[in-house]
Amino acid sequence: MLSTSFTMIAIVCLWMAAQLLLLGGLSQHRAQDLLYDELRYVLAGPPDEAPPLGPVVPVGDPVALLTIPSLGVEQVVVEGTASGDLLAGPGHRRDTVLPGQVGTSVVYGRAASYGAPFADLPDLHAGEEIDVVGAQGSTTFTVLGVRRAGDPLPQPVADGAARLTLVTAEGSGRLGAIAPESVVYVDADAAKGFPAPPGRPAVVPDSEKAMAADEGALPLLALCLALLLALTLGVVAARQRWSTVLVWVVASPLAIALSWASTDVVMRLLPNLI
Amino acid sequence: MRRAIALVLLVAGLAVPAAAGAQPGDLDRLDQRAAPHPERQAKGGFSQTKTLTRRFVQADGSTYSFPSHTVTVTADETTNLRGRQRILIRWKGAQPSGGRASNPYGENGLNQEYPVVILQCRGLDDPSLPAKKQLSPATCWTASVAQRSQVTRSDNEATWTHDLEADAADKARVGGLDPFPTAEECPTADIAPYFTRLTPFVTAQGRTFEACDAGHMPPEAAVGAAFPPAEIAAFTDTDGTGAVQFEVRSDVENESLGCSDRVACSIVVIPIAGLSCDQPSSPMTLADQACRKGGRFPAGSSNFANEGVDQAVSPALWWAASNWKNRFSIPITFGLPPDTCDVLDPRPPTGFYGSELLAQAALQWAPAYCLNKQRFKFQLNQMSDEAGWNLMENGGGAAAEVSSEHEQRGSDPVGYAPTAVTGFSIGYQIDKPDNAGEYTDLRLNARLLAKLITQSYLGSDLGRGHPGIGDNPLAIMNDPEFIELNPGLSQTTQEVGATVLSLSNSSDVIEQLTDYIAHDKEAMAFIHGKRDPWGMVVNPKYKNLDMPRSSIPLLDTYVPETSSDCRQKNPAVYFNQLAAPVTTLRKIAEALLDAWPNVQTRCDFDTGSGLYKLGRIDRQSFGSRFMLGIVSLGDADRFGLRSAALQTKPGRFVAPDNASLAAAVALMKQEKKRHPFLLDQAVVRRSATAYPGTMVVYTAARLQNLAEDDAAKVAQFIRIATTEGQERGSGNGELPGGFLPIEKKGVTAKFFAAAQETAAAIEAQRGPGGSDGSGGTDGPGIGDGPGGNGGGVAPPPAVPGDDTPSTASEPSAVPSVPPTALEMPATEPVGSNLAGGLLPLLILLGAIGCVAATALRIGAPVMRRRR
Repeated sequence: MLSTSFTMIAIVCLWMAAQLLLLGGLSQHRAQDLLYDELRYVLAGPPDEAPPLGPVVPVGDPVALLTIPSLGVEQVVVEGTASGDLLAGPGHRRDTVLPGQVGTSVVYGRAASYGAPFADLPDLHAGEEIDVVGAQGSTTFTVLGVRRAGDPLPQPVADGAARLTLVTAEGSGRLGAIAPESVVYVDADAAKGFPAPPGRPAVVPDSEKAMAADEGALPLLALCLALLLALTLGVVAARQRWSTVLVWVVASPLAIALSWASTDVVMRLLPNLI
Repeated sequence: MRRAIALVLLVAGLAVPAAAGAQPGDLDRLDQRAAPHPERQAKGGFSQTKTLTRRFVQADGSTYSFPSHTVTVTADETTNLRGRQRILIRWKGAQPSGGRASNPYGENGLNQEYPVVILQCRGLDDPSLPAKKQLSPATCWTASVAQRSQVTRSDNEATWTHDLEADAADKARVGGLDPFPTAEECPTADIAPYFTRLTPFVTAQGRTFEACDAGHMPPEAAVGAAFPPAEIAAFTDTDGTGAVQFEVRSDVENESLGCSDRVACSIVVIPIAGLSCDQPSSPMTLADQACRKGGRFPAGSSNFANEGVDQAVSPALWWAASNWKNRFSIPITFGLPPDTCDVLDPRPPTGFYGSELLAQAALQWAPAYCLNKQRFKFQLNQMSDEAGWNLMENGGGAAAEVSSEHEQRGSDPVGYAPTAVTGFSIGYQIDKPDNAGEYTDLRLNARLLAKLITQSYLGSDLGRGHPGIGDNPLAIMNDPEFIELNPGLSQTTQEVGATVLSLSNSSDVIEQLTDYIAHDKEAMAFIHGKRDPWGMVVNPKYKNLDMPRSSIPLLDTYVPETSSDCRQKNPAVYFNQLAAPVTTLRKIAEALLDAWPNVQTRCDFDTGSGLYKLGRIDRQSFGSRFMLGIVSLGDADRFGLRSAALQTKPGRFVAPDNASLAAAVALMKQEKKRHPFLLDQAVVRRSATAYPGTMVVYTAARLQNLAEDDAAKVAQFIRIATTEGQERGSGNGELPGGFLPIEKKGVTAKFFAAAQETAAAIEAQRGPGGSDGSGGTDGPGIGDGPGGNGGGVAPPPAVPGDDTPSTASEPSAVPSVPPTALEMPATEPVGSNLAGGLLPLLILLGAIGCVAATALRIGAPVMRRRR
């Protein structure tokens, strides 16, 4: 009995860890592929869809393609920085201009989980380039430097210029790669930005700020757990009638899918930059 | 006698702000000149003396003369008048009046004897002018037919046909207009044997209205016209003196009369001394006898029942030759109309936004800018102080006109330049009971004001059912506290007595008024729920209302339950219908001028649709007027409104005048350079002379990032407004009444110095120059701000210093290359232990679980075997 409990704990924990580090990466890659296609489509100027120009873009839509050649990063940036939005890729903070527009644009990205698109961000050096392709064209930013807590903020952005601030988290010590605990920023400037339409929201919800969690996912989590419970009871009941093998053949995919979905929901309850 | 003197003195006291600059004692000195004096027109003043005698030619051909009256008429202001301005006209030595009407205006004043008729006429009384520019009875305005024409009168009502001075043509049975209107035109005019005398009205455009019935009068004389009649048959007291505030109309209010800055006009004052009569036939006809009548009412009496009077001494025949001969013509000139600058100056205006306190000054100042090509086109756009301030801060306006310190939201520092010293007052229009004239000595304290603005009076029995305050007085006139301060007033309840007409939007005026209340212990105790000594208690909805505040909220929700069909079909919050605040101080001033409360409880039934409609109640009837409203001192002076004296120390009541404004100015202190001066109401309460409603209007403009030409204009405005704009007078660019001039010396010297200093700072724009004011908020104001729980990037600090260049929250104003690196704040640490510890913990727990499970699996059989 005790042994079973420990087994369960081990399974749950390891499944979570595996999803964060490995399986999430798979789904993130898949999401990026779809987003890339969608971005290509909207940037081509289709008659039925408006390109993402701001000031308001539906949350979750792709807004730009972010390329950091020196790190080998190529990611489609989505709108919104809540924990759930960042599962698909780096997210653009909604109360800032879009990347490439005049002013400062802020993009959040995960450091360790779900593909960890911004894992290597602290390795950037001043002078390296970041390319952004948005609806108005492409912009090349030059990195000003990596900024951590206590460092002075960069000078106010110049008239007509664009700034991109990438935000992620990093850890320290031996487990640093999987323990991103403090927020780190990378500022990059471009001398000329595209005009930004007025009317952006002045604030974003707390759940879209750095290291924030989205507590709105709790009801969904309850639903997922209830389904898992139902599946468990179903498996117990089915084993009375049918052979174990048969039951598990049918139940395993369901269990894996439900676990996967539940873990995605749990991710929304966790800080958005890990 | 005493009453008349008191009236004159108090009216004079009211006019002090206007008269003090230009020879304060002017009128009094003029009054003392006993000898007949030729027409004199000083700057804004008038005085003339005439000897009036009534004569009868007796049957034997001899002439009998009544004792003469030497009448002196004075007026306080005659130049650069504006529409609806009221000027004070006084006279002495006239025949005392009898049969006093309760309402002397328009046709209501006809049934009086020996009144003084005052009319506004187009043209001047100068025989050297062409006939078109001369005044005559046909250019004198009256609002009704009965005031100008006598139609189908019987023999004994045709006294004018025996007027000694009249031409033969005027003595005919029908006359006054040549050719006389036909029977189709005026069917009632020519009916033998009745007498008719028409006094037509000729409009400024040259059209003649026959004035034989209401259908042949100018459109402005229609029943229910926009403005009540201004012409008056005023009452002379038993000592021969009288005074009246006469409202003049410009072509904006009365196009047919058409007085403007280009069309000269006069005020005609005709003391009715009685018709002079020609030789009677023998025996005397009824008309001969009627002409010789001397009045049936004793001097000083009242005619409440509006009974008929002797025509020969009534105001109805003011146009008859022997009355017309006795006229005093006061020439008046009108100032430029308010739209002068829009018409004459094609340049785009530079908008200054804000305080309505400055309205009357801006009306006179604006032409001094737009008609001078060396200057810019100044335009004051009146709005709430807060809205003006916001426009100025975000670049929508060059400067704001405010009267208190406002919260600074932008990063650019703002300088305040004192521009005018004025204030607000509680204006009132109250008649004394029994036709004893207007009440001129209203005294109020903070608790009475608190009662009014907290809707604690019931208004009428409809308010009796209001929970918690059913035993409160119905209105202020029933409040023992008010009666104690103002004895002798009528205590007949009127709904309007439950409220003071106030502003619906936020204003620095309300802020100061509530600050005055907030510094009164008794008033605040009342608001906090303590009963006043007479048992009145605050409306529970307003209990513990925060003071001071910039607007007075409408919080009550009580809808009375009543059997009234109208109220059942239009349920409304009763107290809000009483309060019905308006948007501008000017509207309040006009409501007071017309004695037309904004109480919205009138109920009309439309028989066509079968629906009820709620609306504004009627104008108050003369003799029982009672109305309170918050007005600016500029409006109060322009329209001749009376201002209440407010309590400062216990037992001390201070009314607004030059001395009390100056005393308040002396108490004002400036905390920081280029910031507003503060008037601490606590200090005012200790002073026995300072007026609590004194306010300084400041021109506020950004000291950085204001476009260069705007900065120059604002600086120019401040310099001109504080120098030539402070000369008292009614002309262009001068300071109207209701304002205390800012001078280089004396108590206002600190304002002058501060204004010059701020003007220099605004002109200098020491910050890096911006190009324009557009741009709004697209800026690098990123991050969550210091308060956000996950702050990414803190916005750059707003540094309201002089020498620091503008920081980033005004993007358009930020130079492309900052001259120096800015001291930037540090990045805030943001972290999460959960984020850091989660994955290691998961892996650790997973590992422990695996190990423990494995150990238990392997260990359990071993244990069992041991057993």
